[in-house]
Amino acid sequence: MRKFFAITAAAFLSLPSFAMAQQTAPTAEIVNAANNLLATLSAEQHQKVLYAFDDANQRARWSNLPTGFVPRGGISLKQMSAPQRNATMKLLATILSPMGLEKVNEIREADDDFKGNGSKRGPGGQGGPPPGQKGPPPQFGGPGGTGGPGRGRPPLSGDMFGSDLYYISFLGTPSTTQPWMLQFGGHHLALNITIAGSKGVLTPTLTGAQPAIFKLNGKTIRPVGRESDKALALLESLDENQRKHAVLAYQVADLVLGPGQDGKKIVPDGLTASAMNAKQQGMLLDLIAEWTGILNEPSATARMAEMKSDLNDMWFAWSGPTTAETGSNITAYYRIQGPHLVIEYAPQRDEPGNHVHTMYRDPTNDYGSGLLKP
Amino acid sequence: MRWKNTAIAAACFLLFGGVALAHRVDEYLQATIISLQANQAQASMRLIPGVLVAPSVIDAIDRNHDGVFSESEQRAYAQRVLGDLSITIDGKTISPQLISWSFPAAAQMREGLGEIQIEYSVELPPGAQHRALTLANYHLNPSSVYLMNVVVPQDPNIRIVAQKRNEVQSVYELDYQQTSAVGALSGSSTGRLPAWLNHIQFASLFRLGMRHIAEGTDHLLFLLVLLLPAPLLAIGSRWNRPASIHRGLLRVLGIVTAFTVGHSITLTLAAMNLAHVREQPVEVLIAVSILVTAAHALRPLFPGKEAWIAAFFGLIHGLAFAATLDRLGLARWERVAGILAFNLGIETMQMIVVAVILPSLMLMSRTRAYPVIQVGGAVFAGVASLGWIVGRLLDIPTPVDTIVEAIAHHALWAAAGLFLVSLACRYLPAERPYGSHRIAQDTLLPNLPEMRQTSPRQIL
Repeated sequence: MRKFFAITAAAFLSLPSFAMAQQTAPTAEIVNAANNLLATLSAEQHQKVLYAFDDANQRARWSNLPTGFVPRGGISLKQMSAPQRNATMKLLATILSPMGLEKVNEIREADDDFKGNGSKRGPGGQGGPPPGQKGPPPQFGGPGGTGGPGRGRPPLSGDMFGSDLYYISFLGTPSTTQPWMLQFGGHHLALNITIAGSKGVLTPTLTGAQPAIFKLNGKTIRPVGRESDKALALLESLDENQRKHAVLAYQVADLVLGPGQDGKKIVPDGLTASAMNAKQQGMLLDLIAEWTGILNEPSATARMAEMKSDLNDMWFAWSGPTTAETGSNITAYYRIQGPHLVIEYAPQRDEPGNHVHTMYRDPTNDYGSGLLKP
Repeated sequence: MRWKNTAIAAACFLLFGGVALAHRVDEYLQATIISLQANQAQASMRLIPGVLVAPSVIDAIDRNHDGVFSESEQRAYAQRVLGDLSITIDGKTISPQLISWSFPAAAQMREGLGEIQIEYSVELPPGAQHRALTLANYHLNPSSVYLMNVVVPQDPNIRIVAQKRNEVQSVYELDYQQTSAVGALSGSSTGRLPAWLNHIQFASLFRLGMRHIAEGTDHLLFLLVLLLPAPLLAIGSRWNRPASIHRGLLRVLGIVTAFTVGHSITLTLAAMNLAHVREQPVEVLIAVSILVTAAHALRPLFPGKEAWIAAFFGLIHGLAFAATLDRLGLARWERVAGILAFNLGIETMQMIVVAVILPSLMLMSRTRAYPVIQVGGAVFAGVASLGWIVGRLLDIPTPVDTIVEAIAHHALWAAAGLFLVSLACRYLPAERPYGSHRIAQDTLLPNLPEMRQTSPRQIL
């Protein structure tokens, strides 16, 4: 009897800690994977990859541009040994959902394709650099534009593009209790992940691709393709009156809140989700999940719950062509906004269907700032 | 369009060995985010030229072409951007005050990288509950794309009611309520947008026209010097006794109208792309026109033919106005209305200047003090124009702009002072200034340095 009592008491006492263990297990796994990676690094690499948690410069050191133009902090996959690279990919696989990891890898593959084939828009529609094409850059613009400053440009070697030119860095020390950040990014990718205890925050994050549609081993890849398809489906589900609000009468040439525009909350425009029916609201949340679902559980579900509770204050705005061929990307800009959300999808005007930048923000929680308030 | 795409493709091909760079190419992105407070608005602008636009933007900043954006060049360009904005609150023009600016290196900008950041503020005087803030950006319009947005106001008493934009977002209106919170946030309001757009664009270009002549000190100086001998009659090779008021007014009307006709002709031709002249020779010719009229104000070179001369030089000044209008840029369909609005703005400001200055000149032309004003003004304009000619020919900075602008800055006080002086002159001994007891020019000349110091304020 005493024995039974003791067991019951032990079970009762251990229940909360068991629940806590369940909750913190994902974070513990992430911290493990991070420590495994850090253990493979040399002292010099170690120093390069670690920043102070409150290093504001490193936080904001991300961009859509190639790393040759905007150098990132940390170390790149290219600078790593095979075991180090494996450890990095293992860490990403732990912190990201399978969908998120796939997106990241497809964005990197797009950069490989860009490196190999260039833009498909070269003269005569041929990709690829012509052999030995060098010579002085031509002069453009008005009279008097000759000569001038800074003829020297960064060398356009192989170090401009490619799936190995993606950098990893840590702000703060990986911990299951204290907040820290993981950054992973390069051309068309900037993941800024803040981990604070059991909570994970992905904002701000930039994804994108050029080419945004390409073939790899016979398979068509569209790194940000569902972001295009789901948005178009939502637009097509709107009735005439809803469309009148959703489709803006003005052009939006680029991201409004791209790199460097942290913490800004702009007045929304377009159609409110409160004017959508249940099915359309479901489609909107499903579209938002393309960004919220990049992180692994439980962060993705927690974030989606927040999106659901904000639903009546969400806005959906579209600018540009309202059609696209099946299997191709839209050439329109769209924006989803809520009290804790800004998503922007911006086709780039040099190659609209094939060059996309997207931005995912929470103006109240950039770099997890909302989590860390006392 | 086709040639343009081909050109871009070719440019990327040559610049980047076939690898088109992953960013802006042929556009100048100008993104503005406004933050609204109770008694002022702050705006942050990001200006990002694409690789094909960068050379002309670099040219516009780096005025002495030394490859470096100096502090003064940066400031001047930031001011120029603000000068191309037209901002109103409840229909009243308000002028932006530069707060800060930052520029990337020229080399970086040539790559199509790096952005110019400009912060400015506008004061918002108290107004009614329902308020409208409009912002029209005409800076380098033809090659630009725009983003205009407002951040959610922190002040709970400010509520955004609607945002209206034209298709390219170069013209923006923010309707808001300034009171305790009422009503719900609403999105875009598209009601009667075309009518709103025409109204806003017409009004904003009208104001830019006015501001252009008010700040275009060389145009103003030309006009003033042309008016200087208007109240007088030429006899032989000298200015003589005053003409009758009636005759003087008619002559002034003729001169101003002729100038207007002249510059309207070339402004229209150039704006319709039927005439195009490079900016620098036009600027030099304008300085020459001031020199010629200054000489005429001293000794009649073309007595009785002032209107013809005004019309002829008007043609040249019109080309300069056109260069401004060209920089502001307008879509083809907007051009006719745009030229009209801009020209009407110039006209209105011109008439205001004439109306303010002419009574003083008329009053004084009847006193013995007039030769002082006449000679002093002409000599000042002559020296200034010589400075401009040299500066504009050799592309070097001269102190002329600084001095003339400093005077123009206090134009209202100067005009008021001139009027008081002209009233005081009425009480001078009632001796006829010209005629048998005319003071010889020779005896006046030794006093010239003094006059040079006092006269600029007086003529403006």
